[in-house]
Amino acid sequence: MANTVIGSSIVIDGEISGDEDLVIQGTVKGKISLKESLFVDSSGVVEADIETQNVEVSGKVTGNINASDKVELKSDCRVIGDIKAPRILIADGASFKGNVDMDVKER
Amino acid sequence: MAQSEQTGIIGKGITIRGNLTGGGDLVIEGRVEGQISLKNHLTIERSGHVEAEIRAEELTINGEASGNIDATSMVSISSSAKVAGDIKAIEDGAVFNGTIEMDVKLPDNI
Repeated sequence: MANTVIGSSIVIDGEISGDEDLVIQGTVKGKISLKESLFVDSSGVVEADIETQNVEVSGKVTGNINASDKVELKSDCRVIGDIKAPRILIADGASFKGNVDMDVKER
Repeated sequence: MAQSEQTGIIGKGITIRGNLTGGGDLVIEGRVEGQISLKNHLTIERSGHVEAEIRAEELTINGEASGNIDATSMVSISSSAKVAGDIKAIEDGAVFNGTIEMDVKLPDNI
């Protein structure tokens, strides 16, 4: 389990950066840039641009997501924003509005 | 998982710049710059580094904190802590009877 947990009653307005996993159960506005995985739990609300390796969203995200590996939108999540990642999973029941860019090179 | 969903942990590898507000308890092992205002207990662990205006009900400092501290009920500063800034734990006008104990190790050659 990840080391860092932003609990459900915590609100952060600003910038989060780091090199370990992050679990968001509360609210984060601003910018998130991580070298590892980001988990937005079902109670989590993120209004931020996200730059990370992996993202797993069960809660709400408004902002652009740029992942170097994988983005996973779980069922019941709500995501508004563009997603750029080589691997993208959108579960049945997930709400998503935005563009998907898998950075496919044209031959 | 954390003991309760109210608890937040900022791990060693994480840096936060900005405002942090909340109702639950918070443990900081990483770095926080900006403002912290917490309704409950804030713990700054040994590895924690906080440069912020801190408002909390209770505060335990084991690591580094610089900035003004306003605690409504209690501040505990351990021997491993480094604190720079004003601490306001006793309000102006209050009557205080007791001692302020500081664990300072004096060098042997004094």
